[in-house]
Amino acid sequence: MKKAIVIFFLAVFGYFMAITFLSPEFEADRNRNGVKDFYLEKTVSDLKTANTVTAIVVNFRGFDTLGEVTVLFLAATALGSILFKKRHHIGERTVLYPASTIVGSGAKLIFPAIILLGAYVFIHGHLTPGGGFQGGTIIATGFLLMLISYRNFSISHNILSVIESLAGILFVVFGFMGLIYGGSFLENFMGTGILNDLFSGGVIPVIYILVGFKVAAELTGLIYTILHEKG
Amino acid sequence: MTIYQTIGGILILIGAVFLFLGGLGIYRMPDIYNRLQAGTKATTLGAMSLILGVGVVKMEDDWTWMVKMAIIVIFIAFSNPISSHALARAMYHRKKYPYIKDNKEGMDAYRKVMEKEEERKKKK
Repeated sequence: MKKAIVIFFLAVFGYFMAITFLSPEFEADRNRNGVKDFYLEKTVSDLKTANTVTAIVVNFRGFDTLGEVTVLFLAATALGSILFKKRHHIGERTVLYPASTIVGSGAKLIFPAIILLGAYVFIHGHLTPGGGFQGGTIIATGFLLMLISYRNFSISHNILSVIESLAGILFVVFGFMGLIYGGSFLENFMGTGILNDLFSGGVIPVIYILVGFKVAAELTGLIYTILHEKG
Repeated sequence: MTIYQTIGGILILIGAVFLFLGGLGIYRMPDIYNRLQAGTKATTLGAMSLILGVGVVKMEDDWTWMVKMAIIVIFIAFSNPISSHALARAMYHRKKYPYIKDNKEGMDAYRKVMEKEEERKKKK
């Protein structure tokens, strides 16, 4: 009986999944309004950016990215404000068994490499897959590793909030500079350079570096707050 | 086939075999410590051999591949054993006892030994 019910639900689920995936027929022309072609052409010809996704996220829809960053910032702030009252002693947290010396030494060796990888990912966001959000998350995992390995590893919340605020403000400042020099908010006003160069894409790498710093600071602060929660 | 491709292919084959054995071991072994054995040693060597093989094959055109692969191998040599050590240590502290085959007392044999040891530690 149970099996029959399970098979029935699976069949229903599979039917709807099949309908979902088959409804836009394969090989059908999905480029009805020409957005895809517009993005692909403009990315190479105007922006000189190798990574189309980055060009869309930061340039064509830069305003949305600003909103995303704001959402992340609000989430981090909300969590911090909820957990803040429970934190009585900053820098002390209850650990059942502290991590061993081997883990500590290994973390010390790997931590700079993780930071380097994260920086690489967000600096090369306009050339290779990845970008500010991904790079920032990688950096935050590096700090998570250090926090797990060392009980008394502490990060200054003030420095984190300063980095976070500076990155956010600079993002908006670059947006307004686009308004002043280019004509619209977040307009790409800098020279675009040569395709596939590190210094290309105009304002895109600058903004992605700022996003990377902001995301890294926010997520590190989040992890720190959660780890130091009492109880 | 050039000599680079032959040597690289052999290295990749060795790596693939060891990775397969590691995966089989993780599936087949009875408890966490045995699984860590299979999942650490076999897959560390397997991944290192496979990556070195790729480096050797690619070295024919561009020798910088070998340097990159060597860096990756060094990081695997760091990270894989350390993470397995952390897992095994956590399991030990969580009092997950090893599995003994055909033992009537089973887990209790180890548990008794461990409890005695802990009592001794407390007395000290």
